[in-house]
Amino acid sequence: MYEEPYRWIEAVGNRRQYLDEQFAKGSPVVALAYADGILMLTVSRGTPKLYEIYDRIALGGMGHPADLEKLRFSLLEMAHVEGFNRSPSDVTGARLMKYGLAPSIKQAFEEIYKAPFIAKILLAELGVKPERDLFLSINYDGNFEESRGWAALGATSSVQGRMRRYVESQPAFAQASLAQAVELALCTWAVGSLAQAASDTSSGESSAVHASEEKTEGDASVLPDKAALLAHVRQTVAEKSLECVLLERRGPGSAKYRALRPEELGRLLPPAVSTPATT
Amino acid sequence: MGMQGDFFQLLKEQGYQFGNPVAAAVGMEVPTATTILALKYRDGVLVAGDRRATAGNMVMYDRTDKVLEIDRHSVMAIAGVPATAYEMVRVLEHSFKYYRRTQLQELSFEGKLRAVSKLLKENVPAALAGTGAVVPVFAGYDHEQESAKIYFYDILGAEFEAVEYAVSGSGSPTIRGILHYVNTWGPQPLATLPEEQATIHALRLLSSAAEFDSATGGVNRELNLYPVVKLIKASGVQTIPDADLKRLHESEVLRGR
Repeated sequence: MYEEPYRWIEAVGNRRQYLDEQFAKGSPVVALAYADGILMLTVSRGTPKLYEIYDRIALGGMGHPADLEKLRFSLLEMAHVEGFNRSPSDVTGARLMKYGLAPSIKQAFEEIYKAPFIAKILLAELGVKPERDLFLSINYDGNFEESRGWAALGATSSVQGRMRRYVESQPAFAQASLAQAVELALCTWAVGSLAQAASDTSSGESSAVHASEEKTEGDASVLPDKAALLAHVRQTVAEKSLECVLLERRGPGSAKYRALRPEELGRLLPPAVSTPATT
Repeated sequence: MGMQGDFFQLLKEQGYQFGNPVAAAVGMEVPTATTILALKYRDGVLVAGDRRATAGNMVMYDRTDKVLEIDRHSVMAIAGVPATAYEMVRVLEHSFKYYRRTQLQELSFEGKLRAVSKLLKENVPAALAGTGAVVPVFAGYDHEQESAKIYFYDILGAEFEAVEYAVSGSGSPTIRGILHYVNTWGPQPLATLPEEQATIHALRLLSSAAEFDSATGGVNRELNLYPVVKLIKASGVQTIPDADLKRLHESEVLRGR
């Protein structure tokens, strides 16, 4: 029944709608370059969402854990075989994205008789110099984009757009300390998380989802203030766990990836998050 | 296969071959023109090696690094054919990283030891042909037992734990006796020495080896060439800077003439 082109387009459309719903409850991922390297942060429920891929490459994901695992393994295999056969400096985020992830994700998305990958992935690559730090993110349909300075994953493009507006409204952070970077990442995460919660409750009539999203972005152009954002973080962290990993430019050895231990992260959190609520 | 985190298996599936003999075995002799040593001291393990690479009577290179960091907590010191040894180190380095990244936990210390002997076993044909023999000393920090350990291997892959020290290479017979003497009848056992004393011993031992073994390189003050000395402690692997080695060499190794 999918032989006719318009049927196929319709099927792909249905697939988009189905997939969009899958991410609504996911936790956004934020990555940004600060003074000493790159920080990646998210909130997770049990299964981790941030991983080490290679010496200078970290992965953050949204979606189904089994799909993320499958894609993560294929990246690990590709990176290590390449790093061994050629050299570690030939393992780059751009190649992993273009030849490792994008083709298989796109193919799975368009093969409408098979299950697509329920996954969005963000790769952060620590450059030899700060200006060569790179962020690559890929959507469930195989579309990917590169960015500098920072990147984020959110349930929909409008959520990501809101996170972008927030980051762009903040002062420059390329020279920020780790604690400042953690605070900015937490606030950006909260912007995404709140936007997802809002669109999740308001998307009763699915036909008007896109229109209403456009509208909410236009209407609620005022972003929540820092206190509200940090309050949301505190509330979430009470029941879920905060995950934060670093790619440290001056870290020892060749592998620059390091996950922050809970007590270390605890010391870095802004007071509004780490102190218990007074109400 | 990826699910098991076995990088070596993955390489083999991709057609990689390790340790194939290049020539038929003739009357064989294991050439290990080098001196490497590892000893336990107060805070962990010290591993040191000279820097000479030879081919027959010729000195090929005087800046070889034979004490190689495999990860933040383990070091392999190599005696034998450098081509095979460096390849082994590369395989091990990638294997440990691949395991950690796929399995989301560090490979156990025992697992690391097994990986070394597995590679040596794969290498037996090349070792017996006389083209690829490697006799390594492996040292690392065992987090489960909270102590740094030393292991040495024969070319067939048998693994032996060294309680106090291990040596390998053509210069090793010279210093083995010295180590035994110092450890047994010296003012204090090696295992109780502070870091600086252990380093002084390492420098003196390598100088002794260079005295009697033409294939072991000594200190070259003109070119500022010193041996490689690394320490393995709970905090990880640490390399002693050349400036410190120079100072200790001048004050503790050279006789005031």
